[in-house]
Amino acid sequence: MLDVEQMTRYVSPINPATFPHLTVVLLGIGLFFMAWFFVYEATSTKYTRDLYKEILVSLVASIFMGFGILFLLLWVGIYV
Amino acid sequence: MEKFSIELIVVSTLLATCCTANQDTVNTAIVNSNVERKIDISTHLAKVTNVITLENTGKGAVRSFLFALEDADAKDRLSFIGAQTKVEDGEDSNLPVSETTVTTDAKGAKFWRIDIPALGEGSTTTVTVETVFTHILRPYPAQITQGEKQLMQYHGNLYYYSPYSTKTQTTSVQLSSSTIESYTKTKPVSVNDKTITYGPYESRPAFTKGEVVIHYENNTPFLTVTHLTRTIEVSHWGNIAVEETFDMYHTGAKLKGPFSRYDYQRHQDGASSIKSFKTVLPANAKDIYYRDEIGNISTSNLREQDEGMELELRPRFPLFGGWKTHYTIGYNIPAYQYLYNSGSNYALKMPFVDHVYDDQVIDYITVKIILPEGSKNIQFNPPYDVKRDADSLHFTYLDTVGRPVVTLHKTNLVENHIQDFQLDYTFGKVLLLQEPLLVVLAFWLLFTVVIIYVRLDFSITKDEASESRMRVAGLVEEVQNVHDKRSALYQSYDDAVDKYKANKDTAAFTAQRKKIDADYKALTEQFKALQAKLKQEGTDVAEKVAELQRLDTQFREQVNIAISYAEKLIAGKIPKAQYLEAETSTKSKKEDILGKMENIVTSL
Repeated sequence: MLDVEQMTRYVSPINPATFPHLTVVLLGIGLFFMAWFFVYEATSTKYTRDLYKEILVSLVASIFMGFGILFLLLWVGIYV
Repeated sequence: MEKFSIELIVVSTLLATCCTANQDTVNTAIVNSNVERKIDISTHLAKVTNVITLENTGKGAVRSFLFALEDADAKDRLSFIGAQTKVEDGEDSNLPVSETTVTTDAKGAKFWRIDIPALGEGSTTTVTVETVFTHILRPYPAQITQGEKQLMQYHGNLYYYSPYSTKTQTTSVQLSSSTIESYTKTKPVSVNDKTITYGPYESRPAFTKGEVVIHYENNTPFLTVTHLTRTIEVSHWGNIAVEETFDMYHTGAKLKGPFSRYDYQRHQDGASSIKSFKTVLPANAKDIYYRDEIGNISTSNLREQDEGMELELRPRFPLFGGWKTHYTIGYNIPAYQYLYNSGSNYALKMPFVDHVYDDQVIDYITVKIILPEGSKNIQFNPPYDVKRDADSLHFTYLDTVGRPVVTLHKTNLVENHIQDFQLDYTFGKVLLLQEPLLVVLAFWLLFTVVIIYVRLDFSITKDEASESRMRVAGLVEEVQNVHDKRSALYQSYDDAVDKYKANKDTAAFTAQRKKIDADYKALTEQFKALQAKLKQEGTDVAEKVAELQRLDTQFREQVNIAISYAEKLIAGKIPKAQYLEAETSTKSKKEDILGKMENIVTSL
């Protein structure tokens, strides 16, 4: 059995007080890129499409959306 | 560490240590020189405190003594046993208690061995043995109407039950009211308000039994938690979520006849019924909820106090004898309150059972501890003996392989069981990233599906006209792109000329011009290729683009004229006035052409 006297109290790597701010900022950026991606997909034709651009925009969108959604869950009290 | 080892010892003091294969014998050298018993039956528990003065009349030191209960039935009702003695500095020190078996004449007696500091020949020591019994009081009558008082009967032993002879003993019984229907009158006995005192009785041999029956009024709530499920969910994002589901039962005298809400409100009767009770939650509990199957129960109050959050709960209906209720309480606690960390080692140290109400009785508890996904090397250290099921898995949001769940059971708990367990486990910090990356991956998969979907063509026939339109649109877009780039180059020419006029550095200007010329040439070639493609499509756009190219050539000419004039000016071949005139003329022509080109581009 470990001795808790020799351990430190565990604190979250991210302060729970900042969850709302992180959610708004990350989701904002994520939604912008997601919108860009979908607008691009809908307006481009097979002669104008650029795969690298699509992948790059979708990657940026998914990273920001992913972390944004996570902090949204944490903010509303779903402690995953 | 020392403090902890004492706690470990307390662990063993608690009941249900059925598996200990201890075997002891009765040491006849020990004599109970004085025993003072206090039996508190003012609540629905029987709390018996035995203050025993032990005397060693034999030879050699005594290191332990035996504590006995009459039969298995008494043992079943025993919830807690703990022993203490005063150490030199006057403080109480807990003594290790372990269950044991002894071969004696007393049939059915159950024994516990209590280790004490070595007791020399002829010396004495005082030990306090505290026991708590549940469900030992019997309602008599077993059924009462709403307006009647609740009467209880206590059956017990008049004497301290011990494998040793007892020189002198007194017993005081603490009741909840001075209304005593009857009580055993073995002299000497005295009654003083709510207290009955038996004794002192002198020189009783070992295993002396004598029945004492007390029939008295006891309206304290006989509230019993028949089943409590306590779920503790640990999140490394900084939260511990606790949810407790209760099944409660009023174990007092059952309600006979009808229940009248009117009488209940008007006459304030139903003295033994439960209107509300108080639960103490940890001090920094938040997001507290109190609900049952049909939703939130609004009749609760929360008060913040120094020692914790006091939650006053009022069930949907008052509880009478034989009535049940079922509800759920949940709350969040910041992780730092109970979770400790060192590297990748984690320790969760929190109460196995928490406060439900004062003098609580919990018949059966199930504790489920849900750890973060990926926790390994789980080690559970109970404060007392508990039954542990095989670990299972729990699936909730963003889980892949499931979260490990430690499930524990224990029967018959009282307030004395509010003690901390410690759960050790290891967890890699990087695993915390698994959850966000899972969402990222899900989004990226969605986007990839879209990328693939737009590339699929489900049309049965090929529509040449629309295909051509799309191609033209694509080419036009590119033409505009190239044109924009070329326009930027025109500006570069002007800048280069301006710079040349200022510093008169012919070499630098030539180099600069060469560079721009190369770029320009490349773009023009690109432009011409696009023009050719557009011609193939056979649209009128091709003509416009050709016009654009013509204009561009004109523009280019003007640029060249402007450059040659500038060169002449620098070389001193023409006067400044002439240059200025020429410059104005080329400038106006360029602006004119630029405007025309802009018109064509926007009309494409």
